[in-house]
Amino acid sequence: MIAISDIVKSYGNAGNKNQVLKGISLQITDGDFVVILGASGSGKSTFLNVISGLERPDSGSVVYGTNDITKLSDEKLTQFRKDNIGFIFQQYYLLPNMTVEKNVRMGADLAGNREYREMINAVGLENKKGKYPSELSGGEQQRASVARALAKKPKVLFLDEPTGALDEQTGRQVLDYICRLHKEYGFTIVMVTHNQNIAEMANTVVKMNSGKISEVSANEKQKTAYEIGW
Amino acid sequence: MIVGMKDTVKLIGILVIAGCAVFVWTLFLNYNIDLAAMKDEITTQAGMAMYQAQVSTGKVVAAVSGGCLVLTSVVMLLFYIKNYIDTHSKELGILKALGYSGLKIAKHFWVFGLSVFVGCVLGYVSAFCYLPSFYELQNAEHLFPEIKVQFHLFLAFLLIGIPAIGFSVLAVLYAFLRLRHPVLDLLKEKREYRTKVPRRETKDKPFLKDLAGSTIRERKTLVFFVAFSAFCFSAMVQMSMSMKDLSSKTMAVMVITIGLVLAFTTLFLSLSSVVKGNTKTIAMMRVFGYKYSDCSRAVLGGYRLFSYIGFVIGTVYQYALLKIMVTIVFADVGSVPEYNFDFKMCAVTFVLFILTYEIVMYGYSQRIKRLSIKSVMLE
Ligand SMILES: Nc1ncnc2c1ncn2[C@@H]1O[C@H](COP(=O)(O)OP(=O)(O)O)[C@@H](O)[C@H]1O
Ligand SMILES: [Mg+2]
Repeated sequence: MIAISDIVKSYGNAGNKNQVLKGISLQITDGDFVVILGASGSGKSTFLNVISGLERPDSGSVVYGTNDITKLSDEKLTQFRKDNIGFIFQQYYLLPNMTVEKNVRMGADLAGNREYREMINAVGLENKKGKYPSELSGGEQQRASVARALAKKPKVLFLDEPTGALDEQTGRQVLDYICRLHKEYGFTIVMVTHNQNIAEMANTVVKMNSGKISEVSANEKQKTAYEIGW
Repeated sequence: MIVGMKDTVKLIGILVIAGCAVFVWTLFLNYNIDLAAMKDEITTQAGMAMYQAQVSTGKVVAAVSGGCLVLTSVVMLLFYIKNYIDTHSKELGILKALGYSGLKIAKHFWVFGLSVFVGCVLGYVSAFCYLPSFYELQNAEHLFPEIKVQFHLFLAFLLIGIPAIGFSVLAVLYAFLRLRHPVLDLLKEKREYRTKVPRRETKDKPFLKDLAGSTIRERKTLVFFVAFSAFCFSAMVQMSMSMKDLSSKTMAVMVITIGLVLAFTTLFLSLSSVVKGNTKTIAMMRVFGYKYSDCSRAVLGGYRLFSYIGFVIGTVYQYALLKIMVTIVFADVGSVPEYNFDFKMCAVTFVLFILTYEIVMYGYSQRIKRLSIKSVMLE
């Protein structure tokens, strides 16, 4: 359970203040598949960074179980991310000078996971293990970053526009891998997107509008990555 | 504008090193020319011996230190350009894709030679200001008649014009060669490790070890610079201590200053570019929950060994150099004390070196600590 309450976050200094998050509260149950929908610039990425412990809010709390991560020291917060969090970005951010296998190992080593090759197979990259990111297509790079994030066995997986740089077909494929792995491992998913159709895959849909949550709704029935429109 | 003036500001390292080289050369070459001009006026036997010794010392010092410095500036310049092209490969790729020819883009890289020009002018002018005291120092025993400082236009051209032109041409040529990559490789930021690094060599190494290895493999020039920095520190500090006895205090101070300036410039330069070149990697590791100390150890730690190697080579080098100077150059000047390897001095220098190196490393690991995760993602 992640209990988020009254998150406020601004950028800039006193004279030129830009309040990006304007008091957001939300509860996320374990194992849930949450999609955060909103227009570009509505503060989705900032919100995701705050609840995953990459950034600190100006005020408010983010409580995992009983652990308020906004109160943790830098070292403790690092340790928290190590033990709990997986991340997938729109731009993949694979390490360019390492092969797929080594990139996945970056995640796996943190959890002492020796079976990381299974994760590479699970995203269908067994034949690309020894390739460097620049030798892969966008979809393959994103699948490698899925494997990297899941190899560390996170309790919560955060995704920031994971299909934003992909075409429809590869986008569906990546989402399908994520969905299947979600069913198999049961981690919590929090995914940010501006694509309304993707929301149909989630249990819970959170709509954001200029720094505030405008609506939270539950989906009775989730569609698969191949059933949604695009 | 492809390469702007602001890019040349970063070339401060080359500027300093070129300046040092020209400084040393101006001192000794100007002196040698002015001294040679009055060779006939030297009458005494002792004066003649001193004359021979000083001419030879001048040649050795100019060749050894100047040559070393020039080599470093060349390597450094090429390194800067390679680095510049690597980090701007997208922009350059777009320009090429738009139809600019490689040569048209490469032409702009001449500004990199500008820093050499500025460095040479600074080195030349400061040396020229120092020349009167240097002449007095060289003739402290008054074995020669008074030597006047003369200005030699061709020497100024040789030490300022030639390097500036040479380095500009070198910069353009090298940029041209590196820009011959296909447009797509530039756009996708493909780099050379792709083909060079053997694929399955390091199969089961933990990630952090692997990262340390690949950081070093990817930037071999930096290994050279780190080793060179230790080399300068070790050679120049020890040499200066011995020179205090062999020659004069002023010479010793000059040598130690040049040595430290060189050592610190190259070390700061290489470590900054290690950290800069790895910001994305470090930020990603931080996102995943790697500790600061793990990041800095993996990224910076691999260089320690090379700095020790540089130190050892520097020690051997300065010993050999001084031994040669004392036995050959000063052979017929009676009053030069015997020169032996100074173990105590070596040990003291080594301890100083380790201390300095670790402090600098600590500084850079603090810098890693301050890297913000988000700043990388906003790019
Ligand atoms: N580090 C930052 N410094 C200043 N402003 C920022 C920073 N990060 C985000 N912003 C601003 O916050 C607003 C929301 O950004 P973001 O969370 O990235 O929105 P979204 O992901 O929904 O597109 C934008 O107006 C953006 O300019
Ligand atoms: Mg965003």
